[in-house]
Amino acid sequence: MSVLRPFKATDLFKFNNINLDIWTETYGISFYLQYLTRWPDLCCVQEAPSGRMMGYVLGKAEGTGPEFHGHVTALSVAPEYRRLSLGRKMMALLEFVSDETYGGFFVDLYVRCMNKVAIGMYEGLGYSVYRRVREYYGSLGLGPGGRDEEDAFDMRKPLSRDPQRRSVRANGRDVVVSAHDGSVL
Amino acid sequence: MDPVAWERQIRPIYDALDTGSNKSAILACNKLLKKYPKNGLTKALKALALVRSQKVEEALILCDEVLAHKPTEDATLSAMSHVLRGLGRHTDVVKMFEDAFKTQPGNEEYAAQTFFANVRIGNWRAAQQVAAKMHKTFENVRYVYWYVTAVMLQAKDPATPEKMRELLHQLAHRQLMTSPSPSYIQADRLYQHLTVLRELKLYDDAQKVLEHDTGKTMYNNSLAVDELRRNLWQLSGRWTQERELAVQRITEKKDRNWLEFLSILDATFAPIVSSEEVSDEARTACSEQISRTRELFTRISEEDGLKDRSGLLGLLELAKRSKHYGFSQDSSELLSLLQTYWHRFGDKACFYEDVKPYLELDADALSRWTSFIDSVQPSCNTEANLRRAINWHKTRRFTLPECEITPELESARASEYIKAYFAGLSLGKDLAETELQPADDLVILAAHAFVSSWSIGGGEKQLYNASVVLEYGLTKSSHSYHMRLLLIQIYRLLGSASLALEHYRLLGIKQVQNDTLSHLILARASTFSLAGSGDITYSNECLESSQIYMTNSHETSDWIVRAFTQEKYSQIPDLIALEDRLDNSLQRDLVKLEHVRMRLTHEPINSELIDMELIELKFNFDRFHHDNRDIDIISNYQPSCQKSIFEQSVLFKKLPGPGWLFAFLKIYIRALQQASDVDDMVEAKLLIGDRPKQSHDPEVQRPLKERLATRKQVELDELTPNELALYDFATALGDWLEPHHDHIRPPPAKVLADASKQTEAKTGRPLQGIEPADLTTNGHAKKDEEAPPVKDAPESIACFFDDMLARFKKLVESGELPSELLHVATLTQEALLLFTIETLRFKPASVVKMYKLGALATSCKAIRTKAVAVLKDMSTELTKLSEKEGSSDQRKAFVQECQVVQDGEQIAHDFVLNVAKRVTDSRKKVEEGIAKSILKICSKDT
Repeated sequence: MSVLRPFKATDLFKFNNINLDIWTETYGISFYLQYLTRWPDLCCVQEAPSGRMMGYVLGKAEGTGPEFHGHVTALSVAPEYRRLSLGRKMMALLEFVSDETYGGFFVDLYVRCMNKVAIGMYEGLGYSVYRRVREYYGSLGLGPGGRDEEDAFDMRKPLSRDPQRRSVRANGRDVVVSAHDGSVL
Repeated sequence: MDPVAWERQIRPIYDALDTGSNKSAILACNKLLKKYPKNGLTKALKALALVRSQKVEEALILCDEVLAHKPTEDATLSAMSHVLRGLGRHTDVVKMFEDAFKTQPGNEEYAAQTFFANVRIGNWRAAQQVAAKMHKTFENVRYVYWYVTAVMLQAKDPATPEKMRELLHQLAHRQLMTSPSPSYIQADRLYQHLTVLRELKLYDDAQKVLEHDTGKTMYNNSLAVDELRRNLWQLSGRWTQERELAVQRITEKKDRNWLEFLSILDATFAPIVSSEEVSDEARTACSEQISRTRELFTRISEEDGLKDRSGLLGLLELAKRSKHYGFSQDSSELLSLLQTYWHRFGDKACFYEDVKPYLELDADALSRWTSFIDSVQPSCNTEANLRRAINWHKTRRFTLPECEITPELESARASEYIKAYFAGLSLGKDLAETELQPADDLVILAAHAFVSSWSIGGGEKQLYNASVVLEYGLTKSSHSYHMRLLLIQIYRLLGSASLALEHYRLLGIKQVQNDTLSHLILARASTFSLAGSGDITYSNECLESSQIYMTNSHETSDWIVRAFTQEKYSQIPDLIALEDRLDNSLQRDLVKLEHVRMRLTHEPINSELIDMELIELKFNFDRFHHDNRDIDIISNYQPSCQKSIFEQSVLFKKLPGPGWLFAFLKIYIRALQQASDVDDMVEAKLLIGDRPKQSHDPEVQRPLKERLATRKQVELDELTPNELALYDFATALGDWLEPHHDHIRPPPAKVLADASKQTEAKTGRPLQGIEPADLTTNGHAKKDEEAPPVKDAPESIACFFDDMLARFKKLVESGELPSELLHVATLTQEALLLFTIETLRFKPASVVKMYKLGALATSCKAIRTKAVAVLKDMSTELTKLSEKEGSSDQRKAFVQECQVVQDGEQIAHDFVLNVAKRVTDSRKKVEEGIAKSILKICSKDT
């Protein structure tokens, strides 16, 4: 139960309760504005009845040919509003728009390999690992989580334009690619 | 010229500019200019390198040379638009592209650039004319929408008179009608079309567009279009339709967007809300609707069970509104729903926030609710129960009556919260270090109770306890920003400024957050600034936090332009709002003022500083400010009858707002203006770049002198009594010295001649744009009128210092918070600095002699001596306090005051001692630093 509405440029004044959380990065204003001026329909906010922001998603449409797809750039929910299926609802909207408006073949997202909770949630939503991207989160360096901490899973979910499910594969966890050029390692 | 050879020569300049090697770019340009002295592109690139190396005067000369030739070459135009934007000369960019477009009317790119240049400065009228021309010449439908958007924005501009607006909306509508293709082929075109129809109240036309199949798809697929659709239906009273669509979405599509529930609720009460006199029929209709809505929401709530809160929350809202409109007489339904809500969702973290709006109950209902909640107090044995317990405490606290809020009871409650915290802590013991403990909110509640206890007279020790318990909480949840936010507030109250800053930095505030959150640390930061003794930490913090405003002026307009090229019209008003709110941010100017206050304590006060700050502060004085500060970020769990935790813990009980800003701007602009030789005419001649847009408030149109002299109650209300005393002091001082300043200040011609000479010395050429006529009177032109008589200094000026000393001593004796002492001391120091600014002109012996100011000089000296004596006294006292602060006795006393948090023995003595050490050391540092700063300022120029 929350208000689902478009992400607006002026929401940058309101998103502190989400962005002060350690796992959410605050980027320069241009980062947000490039999404809003190209894919505003893939960016939305969940808001409490009190007007407080609860979470948001920023997405884009990219790729060519059968690789054309919706991409989840940032999905974030404030700590006090977790466990309310907000992430699920925002993902549903992004998938719907990627499918209906953009006609993409799939939706994809990147998640830290060690983030088991998130991976589990995305699997529950129909996503599967397409490949493992080496050193995607390289800037942090190797932490206690080892490789799992800096590698990302690229997870995908096919949309209605891909009824044959060509955009996903069963052994995705074993396909390791480089973060720099996407070449298979 | 061979293009390949030319490219080979020009490329290195671009490379140097791209890598930030401005020096080598300039050298390369010079080399090329020797060969081709008239080449516009090279000159433009050199100007760009010069601007980027802050060599503005030289850049200006080149700039004007290039512009004089009306460039039409792409590369030159592009380089020049960067130069001119760097210099803030946006109107010149418009002019440049206009000229280029005039020379080549078939050049679509120049046309677009002219349009964008106007968009960047919000010149909507001109933009709309360009767009009209573009549509005619290039016949692209998008230009119709550019035109319409520009017209709509002009209508929205505060400068546009009310009666013009309707005309503009009609103009936009007419233009849309000429469009060869329908708007619904693109969501954003449809959005723009609907916006125009809404403004003209052409609801039936809008309905036709929406009813079209494509229109339907668009509002079902785009949240933005749907938002507008909802708005249109509500404005046009299509409540039945609105309700039907919402019901369909909720029941068939299982949509749980709260907006759909609100639509049903609004539709339910529409028959009686929309008309003033409510007929019986309307009430009956409404009553029937209520039953239908109740039935629907009950069904949804039962179907969803624990999965979703919408149905039950919808019922709560329905009960609340039914009671409000007199359809139910008592709160029984509300109470029973609240109880169900507790049973069903009491373990959700958002329970408290959900039910808060429904807890405003009358006495009888409240007592029934309280006895219910008392009967269900949960234990903390599971994570779900822990969340329930937290909600229980928050909810219970919310309805506490005033009589149950005493220092002792609050302190006892804090104890209870701490006990529950420790009980809950064990549930999260296996969590990773980066995770938040589920029991965190109990520590935050304890801090609330301590702060509340302090605010009603429980003594400073309550704040000690709060800081210890929060510091402890942070050892368990190192990333809890909620705890840090409270600690920042508390440490500022306690005068532990460096600790407040430390926690603030750990929040990792970045980018736009600087605008919304820097108030936490920078509001009245000059109270804690040690810039006077050489530590410019706070001063740097001001500069760093202000970077975002530069980023905004450099980047945001690019995105507004991008929204036009990408045809994302729905985004444009919000992008403009973002740019405007940052550009005219209240926090921006509050920080600017704090920075000036700090700067004066550590930089030599000379005419350069005075002139520069004067011009900047005058710009700020003409703005219409937006307050973007995020105050709600600090979660509030205080009882509803009390002030919020933020209000309770804010430094000096008052957050500086627009009133404070204007009072201080008046103090500073007046002092700087008197001290400066730059009057309006000189300023206009010397100013580089466009003036910032002025506020449309008629107040701004009044003469500056009048505005500076006007005192407004709303402004005074935001000052502390000590700040008010400073304001009075500054006013008396200004009134006393004004006639002498006005008499001695050299005429504008002389000032301009001097400035021109200075520029010539720097660049080899005199100042541009100054007519010889401006410089006719040279040399010391003594004014003809008679010198004003020297009057004795008003008593209030000297008295100010005595009064401040008396206040200071009283605070020391009564053992007030260090922040209060520092407030008085730094304001007294500020008074001396203002005095220095005001008397700078009368200092040179030659001036005293020439204008016969002996008596004035003597008065000034006496005041200064008095000020210095008072300040030295304060400094000595602060040094004494700082020595005491650093002693082990002080730490021991702190630990002893923290009995409450040590009761359960979970927080070890050593931990408390460590907090005590950090708090007292931090206080020692600031007291010592301010004491030193005062001495340094006193010794300056004596």
